[in-house]
Amino acid sequence: MAVSETFTRLRTSAWLGWQVESNWADPVVFFIYLIARPLAVSLTLAAMYAATRDSATHGAAFAGFYVANAFHAYVNTVVVGMGWVIFEEREESEMLKYVYVSPMGLVTYIGGRSFVRFVLGSISAALMLLVGWFLLGVRWDFALTRPLPLALTIVAGFAATLAAGYVLCGVAMVLTRSAMTVLEGCMLGLYLLCGVIFPVDLMPVWLRPVSYVLPFTWWYECLRRFLLGHGSSAWMSTLTDAQLLGATLAVCAAFSLVAALAYRELDRLARRLGRLDQTTMF
Amino acid sequence: MSRTLAGEAMLFVRAARARAYVRIVGSFREPNGLLADAVFPNLGMCAFVMMYRALGAPAYYEALAVIGGILTTYWVNVLWGMGAQFYWEKQAGQLQLYFAAPCSRMAILAGMAAGGLLASMLRSLVGVALAVFVFRVQLEPFSPWHLAAVFFATMAALYTLGMIMASLFLLYGREAWHTCNAFMEPAFFLSGLYFPIRTLGAFGAVAAALLPLTLGVDALRQVLLGVRSPGLMPVRWEFAALCGFAVLYFFVARWSLRHLENLSKREGRLTQRWQ
Repeated sequence: MAVSETFTRLRTSAWLGWQVESNWADPVVFFIYLIARPLAVSLTLAAMYAATRDSATHGAAFAGFYVANAFHAYVNTVVVGMGWVIFEEREESEMLKYVYVSPMGLVTYIGGRSFVRFVLGSISAALMLLVGWFLLGVRWDFALTRPLPLALTIVAGFAATLAAGYVLCGVAMVLTRSAMTVLEGCMLGLYLLCGVIFPVDLMPVWLRPVSYVLPFTWWYECLRRFLLGHGSSAWMSTLTDAQLLGATLAVCAAFSLVAALAYRELDRLARRLGRLDQTTMF
Repeated sequence: MSRTLAGEAMLFVRAARARAYVRIVGSFREPNGLLADAVFPNLGMCAFVMMYRALGAPAYYEALAVIGGILTTYWVNVLWGMGAQFYWEKQAGQLQLYFAAPCSRMAILAGMAAGGLLASMLRSLVGVALAVFVFRVQLEPFSPWHLAAVFFATMAALYTLGMIMASLFLLYGREAWHTCNAFMEPAFFLSGLYFPIRTLGAFGAVAAALLPLTLGVDALRQVLLGVRSPGLMPVRWEFAALCGFAVLYFFVARWSLRHLENLSKREGRLTQRWQ
């Protein structure tokens, strides 16, 4: 009974999320809007690579960066998007407090909204990979792909994505006006710290520990190794497949646990500070 | 009683100054927001620089990505601080006050632009600091006058384009908001912020004819990097084109504001929230 009720609530909030995301435009315009950003990022990376093709000494690494960038669409769309749900509900539609006290509860509501974001992120990622494969020549040898570790990696990455999304929800609840800047900043910060388009070995030594506690750093390295057959980080390449996969699963699990605790604390702090209905923008 | 031309000009300046004041004070009000505002936008630029480093590209590419990254901050401000500002105002129920005020809408937008430009300076200073102290970008000897002329021509063209975008929000709501959102990365690509625009070949020239940011980035790179950065056109042509863009966009913005204001009033959408 409880499971079916939760499922119904998730489905309802997912439907509402879809309406909020898409009902401002007809389907054609919405589709163009949906693909414009990921397509532009793919083309930017391809243009950077094309510009340096004759002079670059490590051009072969580009495919790994491109693939990780495609999967980073989940972080941009789901993680940051979940934070935006809080911001919009509180500041724009001023419904956050009502959702909070509803029988559905905020956690279930955000979970449902995140499903729509997950679908949009999947479309972005798939589109980037397809454009890469068919238009930009970013290809790999499927004989080197290891399906089982890859599948496990993807599941672990999705779990970490959801967990990080809840953390940003908590952050957005506590912050007011500046939440908008912080959310966008987190998107860029994760792009840099997780080594999406470069190996984390290039980061300054004092920043590397931060990179290594973030699950997405490990996720992207696993995706590169299990999909393309090679990673990009020199340090991580010393690990065997089993070690790398084990470390990724452990980091994702630990991060998810810490994220759950962090969300609970941030939720409590937001209530104590009276932030659930504090509008500052509109 | 009709005002004299001098009176109109005085009113314009005072309204612009008042709006700029609000923008500057608003930008500096929240210290954590200010810090985030100054640091975060530069992180994307750092990632692109690192990618060049990872590919083993010559250091010149890092320099051009840094210059592009610094200009990103202004484009973001044009989109969100200018273009989308009327959306915020409409949602706050404040837009109608602008129309009830005796000053021109252009004065309010000019004030927004001036204030936004100053607030964006902080972000770009962080970008410059990163370029000098972290990435050790090597510049060619350049004339500060050339740099200032090209920079301000670029800003004039960009912010007048922002005025045109702002006018769209008089009529539209979320459609325009999402359009602004969708313009971010495509504009980065079309203006070659992180790569030489010549890489795009003829397509790059088309982009330059559409977006002043493309010409601005190209001209600034030519001034700062010298012969290492062969541009689309000679700098003086690009400067002239940027000035032309600024004048053209100014008049288009003026017409667009008047036209869309009338249309919006007729359709009753000027004060419509959540549309």
